[in-house]
Amino acid sequence: MQKRFISIWFRYLKTDWWIRRQAVLHDKPFVLALPDHGRMVITAANSLAEKQGIDPGMVVADARALIPSLEVLDDQPETSGRLLNALAEWCIRYTPAVAIDPPDGLLLDATGCAHLWGGEKSYITEIHKRFKHFGYDVGIALADTIGAAWALARFGQNDSIIESGQQNSALLSLPPAALRIEASTIERLEKLGLRQISQLISMPRSALRRRFGVQILERLDQALGYEEEGINPVQPIEPYQERLPCLEPIVTATGIEIALQRLLDALCHRLQQEQKGLRTALFKGYRMDGKIEKMEIGTNRPSCNLNHLFKLFETKIETIEPASGIELFTLEASKVEDLPTVQEQLWGNKMDLDNVELSELLDRIAGKIGAHNIHRYIPAEHYWPERSFKEASSLNETIQATWKVDRPRPLQLLSTPERIEVTAPIPDYPPMLFRYRGKLHKIMKADGPERIEAEWWLQDGQHRDYYSVEDEDGHRYWLFRSGHYDAAKSYQWFIHGFFA
Amino acid sequence: MNYTELQVTSNFSFLRGASHPEELVEQAVALGYKEIAITDHNTLAGIVRAHAAAKKHGIRIIVGCRLDLLDGLSLLAYPTNGKAYSQICNLLTTGNLRAEKGECHLYRSDLYQYGKDSKFVVLPPTELNELFEFDPSFITALKEYRDAFGNDLSIAATRRYQGDDSKYLYQLSQLSSQLNIPLVATNEVHYHEPARRQLQDIVTCVREKCTIYNAGFRLHPNAERYLKPQEEMLRLFSHYPEAIMRTQEIVEACQFSLNELKYEYPEEITTDGRTPQEELTFLAWQGAKERYGNDLPAKTITAIKHELKFIEQMNYAAYFLTVYDIVRFARKQKILCQGRGSAANSTVCYCLGITSVDPTKFDLLFERFISTARNEPPDIDVDFEHERREEVIQYIYQKYGRDRAAIVATVTQQHQKGAVRDVGKAMGLSVDTINRLSASIWEFTDEWFEGKRLTEQGLNPGDQHLRKVLQLTREFMGFPRQLGQHTGGFVITRGKLCDLVPVMNARMEDRTCIEWNKDDIDALGFMKIDVLALGMLTCIRKAFDIAKENYDLDLTLANIPQDDPAVYEMISHADTIGVFQIESRAQQSMLPRLKPNCFYDLVIEVAIVRPGPIQGDMVHPYLRRRNNEEPVEYPSKELEEILKRTLGVPLFQEQAMKIAIVAAGFTPAEADGLRRSMATFKAKGLVTQFQEKLIRGMMQNGYTQEYAQRVFKQLEGFGSYGFPESHAASFALLVYVSAWIKCYYPDVFACALLNSMPMGFYQPAQIVIDARKHGVEVMQVDINHSDWDNRLQEKSEKYCRLRLGFRQVKGLRQEDMELLMVKREKSYSSMNQLRDAGISEATLEKLADADAFRSIGFDRRQALWEVSTKDRPVVLFSGQSAADAKGENVSLPTMTTSEHVVHDYAVTSLSLKAHPVSFIREKLDQLQIVSTRQLSSLKNGDSVKVAGLVLVRQRPGTAGGVCFMTIEDETGFANVVIFESLFEKFRKEILQSRLIMVEGKLQIEGEVIHVIVKRCYNFSSLLRTLTPKNNENLPVLTLASPDDPNNYQEFPPALNKRSQVRETAPEKIFPEARNFK
Repeated sequence: MQKRFISIWFRYLKTDWWIRRQAVLHDKPFVLALPDHGRMVITAANSLAEKQGIDPGMVVADARALIPSLEVLDDQPETSGRLLNALAEWCIRYTPAVAIDPPDGLLLDATGCAHLWGGEKSYITEIHKRFKHFGYDVGIALADTIGAAWALARFGQNDSIIESGQQNSALLSLPPAALRIEASTIERLEKLGLRQISQLISMPRSALRRRFGVQILERLDQALGYEEEGINPVQPIEPYQERLPCLEPIVTATGIEIALQRLLDALCHRLQQEQKGLRTALFKGYRMDGKIEKMEIGTNRPSCNLNHLFKLFETKIETIEPASGIELFTLEASKVEDLPTVQEQLWGNKMDLDNVELSELLDRIAGKIGAHNIHRYIPAEHYWPERSFKEASSLNETIQATWKVDRPRPLQLLSTPERIEVTAPIPDYPPMLFRYRGKLHKIMKADGPERIEAEWWLQDGQHRDYYSVEDEDGHRYWLFRSGHYDAAKSYQWFIHGFFA
Repeated sequence: MNYTELQVTSNFSFLRGASHPEELVEQAVALGYKEIAITDHNTLAGIVRAHAAAKKHGIRIIVGCRLDLLDGLSLLAYPTNGKAYSQICNLLTTGNLRAEKGECHLYRSDLYQYGKDSKFVVLPPTELNELFEFDPSFITALKEYRDAFGNDLSIAATRRYQGDDSKYLYQLSQLSSQLNIPLVATNEVHYHEPARRQLQDIVTCVREKCTIYNAGFRLHPNAERYLKPQEEMLRLFSHYPEAIMRTQEIVEACQFSLNELKYEYPEEITTDGRTPQEELTFLAWQGAKERYGNDLPAKTITAIKHELKFIEQMNYAAYFLTVYDIVRFARKQKILCQGRGSAANSTVCYCLGITSVDPTKFDLLFERFISTARNEPPDIDVDFEHERREEVIQYIYQKYGRDRAAIVATVTQQHQKGAVRDVGKAMGLSVDTINRLSASIWEFTDEWFEGKRLTEQGLNPGDQHLRKVLQLTREFMGFPRQLGQHTGGFVITRGKLCDLVPVMNARMEDRTCIEWNKDDIDALGFMKIDVLALGMLTCIRKAFDIAKENYDLDLTLANIPQDDPAVYEMISHADTIGVFQIESRAQQSMLPRLKPNCFYDLVIEVAIVRPGPIQGDMVHPYLRRRNNEEPVEYPSKELEEILKRTLGVPLFQEQAMKIAIVAAGFTPAEADGLRRSMATFKAKGLVTQFQEKLIRGMMQNGYTQEYAQRVFKQLEGFGSYGFPESHAASFALLVYVSAWIKCYYPDVFACALLNSMPMGFYQPAQIVIDARKHGVEVMQVDINHSDWDNRLQEKSEKYCRLRLGFRQVKGLRQEDMELLMVKREKSYSSMNQLRDAGISEATLEKLADADAFRSIGFDRRQALWEVSTKDRPVVLFSGQSAADAKGENVSLPTMTTSEHVVHDYAVTSLSLKAHPVSFIREKLDQLQIVSTRQLSSLKNGDSVKVAGLVLVRQRPGTAGGVCFMTIEDETGFANVVIFESLFEKFRKEILQSRLIMVEGKLQIEGEVIHVIVKRCYNFSSLLRTLTPKNNENLPVLTLASPDDPNNYQEFPPALNKRSQVRETAPEKIFPEARNFK
């Protein structure tokens, strides 16, 4: 059977994608840019910007001189690859063999597919229509060879279909750049006045080879169909999902447990083989009456530990209402991560968050009382005591700062300092007496002051002079005076913590 | 009991201190200190300023610095006497020269070598260890220092408010008595008042490249690092009174003051055992005879005698001899040089050959150069050829040695944009906000705090955070950020320079400079010589060489025939492309109005087209008076004296200053201060005081307010861009010389100009076009005829032929071409001979692109086809063409002339074959677009359309947003004026067009023709028609959707999008216009 290929060229791949994400961009000129040698260089421009003379490769500052209102977005270089992959997977509906054609194209092996859509014309019209609907500006061509389709998609008219065997005449008038050859070769051909493929075809092959190497001949042969060329199709990613249909509707907890066990078994087996672990999982029961029962779990570390995961689900089984019975169970791992390779340890199990038992314990506690009730505190780089620590955003957040231990800090810190009455010599010597909650404390020993200035960029206010003091009972306290001693103004003393 | 602060970090410890040395001194004065030390980190850069401020307020600076060592504890060092100071300078110099610019690498061994007679204070660790003790390693190090310095060593004790201060000080005092090293109290000052702590936090962030939000413990925990009152320091150290007393012991011991520094000139430049003064007298009279012949004019004799007496009185003879020596060296090396600036006022300088303008001819007054009143050392600036100035610099280093000569530093100040950027970044503003803030800042004034400007930028003026940013920015502005090197100011000494001031490496190789800038050395009475670079001197020297070679002429700056009417005739017609200073568009439009016909007119011409006179609105009155359209009158009798030669209109800096003195009652020093404050008015803003004083003074003396305003405005312009008369006269001489060469030897001139590129306003294409217009035959680059440089060949008709050199071809390397020239014994006759000579394929391709193979019968396309072959015959067959090449029988499409022209432009930025616009003339004719030559035959006020390549775009700051543009077609140039409102409207066309068409009204004033633009069109795409289309028989691709009524696409997606090849569109090959401010 004669091979047929489709080449799809996305004229504004990245910018069209941005417009899909942010509809407001549709009506304004904008560009994507990346820093290069200390300047912002444009990597893609949408059609409106391009119409006003802005090309990739231009420096943003120059472009802004032309269009002061030009919107500049940060390009993420890896998007186009991911995007092409996603588009390729989407195209699998048209043919099983779809390949990406970096940086901005797709190749489809359309052999024997067109009749399903009622012929080649309607086949590519359909594809074109769908992409246009998504907002992508595409050029599409269908031909016997990849080379010809590629050339016509970019240099031909919209939606060109080259009849089988006609690629030769279709290519004749196109420029050599349509042959997928190196930039330097294109440039040189241009200088030599060779501006059409027909001029190359009519030239002795040896003359071309001597000057431009074999690549140009190979590309010519591929485009004309003298040489075979294939594509390297993408593989769609299978979701981590397991299904268990039941012959009889399940109504008992035991039945659900068995179903869960089997699904987990299958899923964990697959995860283990792929060296992955799940972070969240969703268990669903499809009821006879059309309703869906769900339970969801989450873990702190990627896990494929069957027992552990089962325990997490187990506590929730009672929430499932089988009613008239469940006919289908599914288990889906919605968030999956690579499993860290764990070195077996001979001695000692460090009691930190990398410890598997600890993390499994936390999973179980979280399952019972809710994850939001478990807190972890980590140091923050601030002198101001109230800000010298913060709540970790997640249990396994890595600590950037270290706990500062060079200054005395109380074991228990009051969340709000409490007012106290104090007798102290002026201007900044330690206090002699203080009254806290009605009780008078006589200070025997004291150290200080440690002066901590307010963080002016966060709040206004006075500095604090902190003193560590010990009363006659040997209890130690952390006291401070807010601001300088000033006879004219009132100043205040506070207690902020207890050492022991 | 008295206390003196001995540890003070100013903002010359870059990004550490947060107060200017002046601020610290003033605060010390306010707090009643009698002395204060300045101890910046490994530098003495800030002490001169502190010294000057202290002198003003009657207190004393303890000179010192903090030494940070690579292998030991940091110390504070205070020299007790001049010798010790020299040692410290030498120490820092050693450290500086070891490291890259901006760093200083010191070791303990250096300290022991250079540490005699200084007092040292060692800085202990700021914290105790877990056992509440000092680390044993510290104690060991301390012992070593004690053994080395004995009684000169102390330990710094500082109260940090860290909570355990008592324990810390107790441990320190224990250590002190154990080791017998006295304690000395300091407060480690970083800023003069507590409020500066915020800025100190910010500079810490800038230094650590973080924001205030994540700076964390890199900041100081509290604001105690300010200069505290003495009583407070006494209280803090009430348990350790000996530490306070020790400060006074150190102060007593360190009596060294910068006043003691003795700057002495080198003396070895005299001959025959004369004293410098005798030598100078001898040389001056000898030079006078050479200049004037044996019959010296009486005026000159008086002037020389007067000057010599003055020089003797001020003891400046050696300085003049030094400059003379440098100039003599340059002459010997055939490096052209000429003194510029105020030195041109001196007859002695003229006689010594330092300057080339005879001051007696112009009544230039010596007192404007140096005077007792100003009590400043003289300052002679000498220009050298820019390509060979390095030789002069290296001569100075070599002659005086690196330890005796160095370049003066320039302190780079934090300017407003940089300050906003740094503070904004440190305060965590987004890049976008910072850009908006800094882009809209023109001048930082209080207007910013009123909120209007902020609202314009879409920022919220009520935002506290933003206001904080602005407030800190205001404080941060003017902070020194780094020490750069001055453009060419040299300090030369008799003794070792590094005995006076630390020397450091400059960023450029083989350069060393000192830590002080020119204000600092002025304050200390050092003298400097400015060795500057001037491109036009290079060009003139090359022209002299070419004239010698081809016309056998021995030209020098002095023997060019003077006052030649033909030269003035040429200048009056604005035929001045390439001529020094008067080639710009603004100058060209002034020339036909001014019609210079003597040398002094050139002096005026140079000075008049400057921001000073333009802003002061002095240009038009002068022109009217000169053309007898307005009577010459003077605002008063006393001003007539000053303004006579410029027809009553002040044009020169000296005149404006004299007016301030005579008419507004300024003292000469005040007038000078006024001028100086103008130069820095953007950073400071003191000017308003002067403005009031000037205007009030002038109105009291009976001048109109309007006239006073005008004088002030002009002064403002002069501040930064002023031309003193003497300076203009020096420049005018070069104007005349270059114009003379252009007038009589346009071939020599064009060749020299092309060989000195890049220079001036014009591209090589315009210089070549201009040369051809003057009858010079220009030959294209060729492998068999060209050298690297452009050169003149045999004569054809009146002038020599100008053969373009390989340097005009983009991308060719000089080494490759030297090789080609060396191997070119006979002529090359085939491509393979060139290959055998070792020329790479890439180079051959470039030569082919440049169409340089015509002499062996290839045009560029055939040459490229030949170059492309990968296989070439070797050994036996070498030199022949390849075997199957003949069998190929390939015919390439022939290139049209227009295509050749496009390629010529692509490679050499010029074409000798034709002007690109000539190919589209027919199309332009159809659109009734006239050529630039036709403009002169039209009438003032006619509506015209004219098109051409855009050569220059200019939006001078003085023109209020008006854009001037010069366009070129095959017949000549046209000057185009676009007013501000239209500039915004046609911004894209103006900025983007290579070929532009403008529609507008003609403005003709004598020979000066302008087109006042109404509309602009980008015609660049017409240039595409010069090359054949890639696929002409393909229908035009339209990507516009059908519902787009405007189906015409100005910019069809470039080819490069499809093939992923970055390729230049044909019209982009033409050189982009040059933009000037």
